[in-house]
Amino acid sequence: MKSEPRTKTTVLTFTALLATLISIHAASGAAADMLATPESFAAIADTAARSAALFTEAGKVLTHPRCMNCHPAGDRPRQGDVQRLHQPPVARGEDGFGLPAMRCQICHQAANFEPAGVPGNPAWHLAPHEMGWEGKTLAQICEQIKDPARNGGRSLEDIVHHVGEDHLVGWAWAPGGDRTPAPGTQAQAGALLDAWVKTGAVCPN
Amino acid sequence: MGTSRRDFVKLLTSSGIALSVSRLALAEQPDFAAREILPGRQAWNPAATGAGRIDGVAKVTGSKLYASDFRAADLPGWPAKTSHAMLIRATDATHIYDGIDLSRLSGALKPSVVVTAEDLARIGTRVPEFFAGDLFCPLRKTPLYLGQPIALLIFEDFDVFDQARFALRDATIVKYGEETGAITRLPYAAFRFTRVAGATPEAPDVYSPFKNGWVSPGKFKDTGHPIWERLPLPTGQEYAEAAGYGEDIRAELAADNPARLVLERQFETQSVDPMFLEPESALAWYDPGRKSLELVVGVQSPYDTAESVAFLLGAAEAAHKPARINMQFAYMGGGFGGRDHTPFPLYVALAGMFFPGRPVRLANNRYEQLQSGIKRHAVSMHTRMGVDRATGKIFAFAADHVLHAGGLSNFSPHVATVGAVAALGVYYAPKVDVTTVSLPSRAVTAGSMRGYGTLQPMTALEVLVDEMCTALPLDPIEFRRRNALKPGERRMTGNTYSVSIRTPEILDKLEQHSIWRDRAAEKARGREAGILVGTGVACVTKNYGTGADCSLAAVEIDPQGRIAIRFDETEIGNAVGTAVANRVANYLGGVADEIALAQTKAFTPLALVRSGDPHTIDQKTQDTAARNPRWVPETFSATAASTGAHVGTHAAAEAARVIFRFGLWPTALELWRIAPNDPRAAQWQAARWKDGQLTAPSLPPLALADIAARAHTRNGITGAMAHSFNRWAWSQADFKIDGQNWTAEIDALALRRGAGKFVRLDRANVKFPPTTLNQSGPTYTAQCGTLVRVEIDRGTGALRIAKGYSVLECGNALVPQVVIGQAQGGFAMGVGQALLETLPLYEDGPGNGKWTLGQYVVARGSDLPLRDLEIEVLPPVDADERPKGIGEVVMIPVVAALVNAIFDATGHRFRALPVTQAMIKGVLT
Amino acid sequence: MTTLTVTINGRSYGPTEVRDELTMNDYLREYLGLTGTKFGCGAAQCLSCAVIVDNPDGSSYTSPTCIVPATSFNGKSIRTVEGHAKNGELTVLQKAFIEHFAFQCGYCTAGFLNEGQVLLDRLARKRVPRADLEKTIAEALDGHLCRCTGYAKYHEAVRDVILADPQRYLL
Repeated sequence: MKSEPRTKTTVLTFTALLATLISIHAASGAAADMLATPESFAAIADTAARSAALFTEAGKVLTHPRCMNCHPAGDRPRQGDVQRLHQPPVARGEDGFGLPAMRCQICHQAANFEPAGVPGNPAWHLAPHEMGWEGKTLAQICEQIKDPARNGGRSLEDIVHHVGEDHLVGWAWAPGGDRTPAPGTQAQAGALLDAWVKTGAVCPN
Repeated sequence: MGTSRRDFVKLLTSSGIALSVSRLALAEQPDFAAREILPGRQAWNPAATGAGRIDGVAKVTGSKLYASDFRAADLPGWPAKTSHAMLIRATDATHIYDGIDLSRLSGALKPSVVVTAEDLARIGTRVPEFFAGDLFCPLRKTPLYLGQPIALLIFEDFDVFDQARFALRDATIVKYGEETGAITRLPYAAFRFTRVAGATPEAPDVYSPFKNGWVSPGKFKDTGHPIWERLPLPTGQEYAEAAGYGEDIRAELAADNPARLVLERQFETQSVDPMFLEPESALAWYDPGRKSLELVVGVQSPYDTAESVAFLLGAAEAAHKPARINMQFAYMGGGFGGRDHTPFPLYVALAGMFFPGRPVRLANNRYEQLQSGIKRHAVSMHTRMGVDRATGKIFAFAADHVLHAGGLSNFSPHVATVGAVAALGVYYAPKVDVTTVSLPSRAVTAGSMRGYGTLQPMTALEVLVDEMCTALPLDPIEFRRRNALKPGERRMTGNTYSVSIRTPEILDKLEQHSIWRDRAAEKARGREAGILVGTGVACVTKNYGTGADCSLAAVEIDPQGRIAIRFDETEIGNAVGTAVANRVANYLGGVADEIALAQTKAFTPLALVRSGDPHTIDQKTQDTAARNPRWVPETFSATAASTGAHVGTHAAAEAARVIFRFGLWPTALELWRIAPNDPRAAQWQAARWKDGQLTAPSLPPLALADIAARAHTRNGITGAMAHSFNRWAWSQADFKIDGQNWTAEIDALALRRGAGKFVRLDRANVKFPPTTLNQSGPTYTAQCGTLVRVEIDRGTGALRIAKGYSVLECGNALVPQVVIGQAQGGFAMGVGQALLETLPLYEDGPGNGKWTLGQYVVARGSDLPLRDLEIEVLPPVDADERPKGIGEVVMIPVVAALVNAIFDATGHRFRALPVTQAMIKGVLT
Repeated sequence: MTTLTVTINGRSYGPTEVRDELTMNDYLREYLGLTGTKFGCGAAQCLSCAVIVDNPDGSSYTSPTCIVPATSFNGKSIRTVEGHAKNGELTVLQKAFIEHFAFQCGYCTAGFLNEGQVLLDRLARKRVPRADLEKTIAEALDGHLCRCTGYAKYHEAVRDVILADPQRYLL
C-alpha cells in the first residue's frame, strides 16, 4: 500500500481501510508484496492510532504464510502458500526440532536446495507452542508478542531485533522454490516494529 | 545360475521382425536372467520351508531386481554408458500446440537428440490400435490430453540431463497458440445390461445379456452420445428390445406403491492413481550393426508390450526398423493395474531407435508418473433400488454409470462393462437394468486399476443398501442375507457363478464379530466421552479372471531333484512366484528354487498359433480353427484381474501333474520294484509327499532326489510344458503319454525326457470353452466383507479408525501370509480412496505436472488401525477347491464400510468420495 | 563443484568432483550404481530413498537422499541396504522381514530396513518401557510410505525383533 495521504479525508479513508484489514483473518495470506515505510504513517496524528497502524502494517509479515507456517497452534507445521499441513507429516517433538526419526535438519539443509525445491536455513525449527499464531487475530498476536511469558522472555527491543535481523526470520524474504516471499524487506519490517515500539507499542483492536 | 544352454529361437511376427532370445555371454556381471530368476540355486529359499517368499532375500538385500535398478553397465554385452531421456509433456489441452522453445538448453545443456511427432511421421511408425492417439502431439494441433508427450529429449551424459531437467522445471518452454477448446471425441463405449427373470427360478430368463447378447445403444449424430431410449427405428432392434424391458423396469421403480420402497441416489467417485512406489522406467539399446533392439522394462503385460513395440516399428523405414527385438521383463515395484498396457515402453523403444549405438534410460519422476500414469476413472452413478417392504427383497434395480475417461481409450470400454455387471454386488434381483458410458476428455489416461471399475458401483450400492436398511427399517445383515445371490441363481447378466458363493458365511462372521455386536454400546460410550463413534459394514464380491486368460508354464526337475519353473505371470508384489512354487510342490514334493517369471519366449516348443479375438469369435470359427492341433484362442494374457493364483499357477500345476504321473511315479514304481500290472501301480493319486519324500500305503518313503536321479538315468519324463486358455472354464484335451490317455485342463503339451529337449505332443478331442460364455460376464468370483468402527472428533472432524475387520474367502490359499498381507494392503488402499486421495480431472490436476506425494496423500501407518485390524480367511469349502484371486476384492468393501460408519457416527450420509476431515467437520457444525 | 568423499558400507568413495546440485540419490544410483537405495517421490514423502548416517559417537539417524545434495554427505559415513548383510549373513531384521512376509513388491523395503535398524540401534543405546513400544515403532516408521502391505507386518517384524531380545531394547 503506497498511498501518500495528504488530506484529512484521505487519512480517514486510509485509516478505515486499515481497520478493515485488521478484521481480515490472520491466515488469509492475501497481503500485497510491499511494505509501507514508517514515515508514511506520519500523517496519523494520534500516536496510539499511529502505533497500531504501524503494527498492522508489520502484521502483513507476521501473518504471511512464510511465518505462520512455522508458528502453528498445534504440533504440526504447514507448508506452501496454500498452507496445507506439512507433508510428510512431521511434528515438533520435544524441542521443536522434530521427532527422533524426522529431525527438521535432516531434510532442511543450511540453505535452500533448489533442485529439490526444499527450503533451508541452519536454524530450521518450529516456534514454541506459546508463540503459536495460527487462528489468532492480529490483535491477539500483538498481545502475545508483547507478553514476556509467551515471547521467550524478550523485551520490546529484542523483538525488533528478532524480526529485523534474525537469520531464520530473514529466510522468509528469500524462501526459494515457488514460495511467495514475505512482503517488503526484513529491514523494512524491523523499521516498522521499531517505529511501533517508539510510539508506545500499541496493539490494534 | 540359470541354464548353460543357449536358447536361440526365432519367432517371426507379421511385421517380419524376429522376436528372438539370445542369451548374452556371461561377463563378470551376472546377466539379467540370473538376477531375475529367483531365488537361485546359491541362495537361501525361504519358500522351501514356508518361511518366506522366493524373492525374500533379493528384496531385503537391495539386489538389482526392478527395471529402475538397471543401467547399461549392469547388462553384459551392452555398451557401458547410459544416456538419459526425458519427455516434454503438454500441460494445456485447449490451445494449439505451437512449438517448443529450447533456448534455455543452449551450449553445454543442449540435448543430443530431439524427437517430435514430425520425426515419427518421417520414419513411418505406427501406433498400435490399443494406444490409438498421437504418441507426440503434432505441431499446430491441440494436444489430445493433459500430459500428452510433445517431444523426447535425449542427453548423452547424465550430468547434462540432470542440469537440463532442473533448467526446464519451472520454465514454460511449450508454446501455445490460439484457443480451440478441448478436442471432442465420441464416447469410447456404451452398453446396456438388462435382465428380466422368468416366472420361476427354473424357468429361462425372459431376457438377459447371456441369453440375448450384449447390446449397445445408437448414438446422437452430433455428439456421439448414446441414445438410451428405445427408438422406433428399423435398425438396432436388439438394443430396442433391451431398452424396452429396461424402460419397463424403470417405470415399475418410478410407480407409486406404498407396499414398496424405492430409493434413488446419485454417487460420485473421484479419479485416483495406483501410486505404485516405483515410477515407470525402462532401458533401450539399439545396436545398428546387428539391427537388434534390446529393452528392459517392468510391465504387467509383457507379451502385449512386445507385440506393441514390434508393431510400432514394424513398418518403419530401414534405418529405424530393427530386425530383432529382445525384451527383458523385470520384477515391478508395484503395479495395481497401472502397468498393464501402459504406453511407456513405446517411448523408451523410440528413445533407443533415435539414439543408435547408445543405451538410453527413460524414467518418470513422481511428478511425471502422476502426470502420465494410468488412472482410475472418476465415476458418476445414478442408482435406483426397489424393495418390497413386507419381504425386504429387492424387486428391481436400475443404474446409470458415466465413467470419466481420459485422453486415450486404453481399457475404458472394458472397465465400463466390468463395472456395469458388478453393479448389483452380492445381491439377487429379478429385474435389473444398467447403462454405462465411457466418455473421453482431456484428462490423463484412465485404464486398469485395482477393482477395474467395480469398486465404484459397489461402494454406491453398499451405501444405498445401508440407507435402505435405515429407511425400511431392516437389520443391515438381515437385509443382505435375504437378498444375497444363492448358488445356482442367475446374476444380472443371466449366468450363474461356477465357483463357491459364500456370502452367508461372510455375513455370519460379520454379524458375530464384536465390532458389529458392540456397536450400540460403543456409540454410547463415545457419547459420554464426547466423541462420535460409528460402525459401518459392507459386503462385496469381485470377479477374478477376464474371460480370456491364458496360463503358460514349463516345469523341469534336474537329476538332483531341484525344480525349475518358467511361466508367463509377472510379479507386482503378489508373490505369484512363491504361489506357483507352492502349487507345484503339491505334485513334485519340492519347492522350486529357480522361478523365471514374465517369460514370453520360453514356450516355442508348443508352437502355438492363434487367430481372431477371443472375446468376439463365434463358435463356428472357433470350432474350425481348433482343428489345427496347435491353434488356441489366445496365447498370452496379462497379469490382471487377480489372476495370479487361479490362472497364473494353473499350467504349472498341470505340467507338474504330468511330470508326477508319467515321470516320477513310474520311476518310483521301479525303485519300489512294483510291476506295471500290480494293482498298486495305478494308485498314484493315493501317494503323498511329506518332507521331500514320496509316501504310499505300505511302501518305504522315497526321497525326491533319488526319484529324480533315477528318472533321468532311465530317460523318463523330467519336464513338461503346458498352455491352457480360460473363458470362465479351462480348455480341455486328451494326450497320449507313454501309451496311456491323459485328459487334462490344458490345450497344449510338450514333454522332456532326461536331459533332452521339449517335444510337442498332439492333442485330441480339444474342447475350448464355448463362445457363448463371452456373453456371460464373469463366472469366477470371491467375496469379502468389512466392518469398521470410527471415532470422530466433534470439533475438528478428524476421523480415527478404531477397529477394522475383513473376512474373505479365497479357495485354497497358495501362500496364506500373502493373502493376509494383500487384505491388509487392500484395507489401506480402501482407506485412501474413501478418505484421502483425490485428483482434479483437468488443469488443476496431475496433468499439469505439479503433483507429487505431498499433494496426493495416500494412507500412512498412522491412518490405519495397525494393531486393531483383523483379517480372517475362511477355509476352503473342501480340500480340492481351486485357489481364487482376491487381490482386488480385499480393497472394495472397506470404502463403503467407512462411508457407512461415518453416517452412523454423524447422521450425515456422504455420497461422494473422498470424505475428508474438512467435509466431516462441515456437517458437524 | 565440490570434492566429495563419503564412506558407504565401510568403504571410502572419492574424492570425486560433483556438482553442488547433484542429489545424494543420484550420486548413489547414477554414479555408483548402488540402486538398493530407491527413488520413489523426490519429495521426502515416501522415504524409499533413506540411508543410515552413522555419527562418530556411535549414534545414527536416517536421511532421505532425494532432496539432499550429495555434498552435504561429504566426510560422512553411511549405510545403505546393500551393507546390512555381512558375508551373506542376513541381519536379524532382514530375516524378520522375510519371515513375517513384511513386504510385497519390496520397493519400500530398503527404507524400512534402514529405519528399523536405526530404531534398534537407538533403543539399544536408550531403552524404552514396554508400554511405549508400539508407539515408538509407529513414530519411527510413519515417515515411510508403502502402497502394498498396509504396514502391519512391517511393524510386527520390528516389534518381534525387539520382543525377542527385551533386555537389550526394553526397560
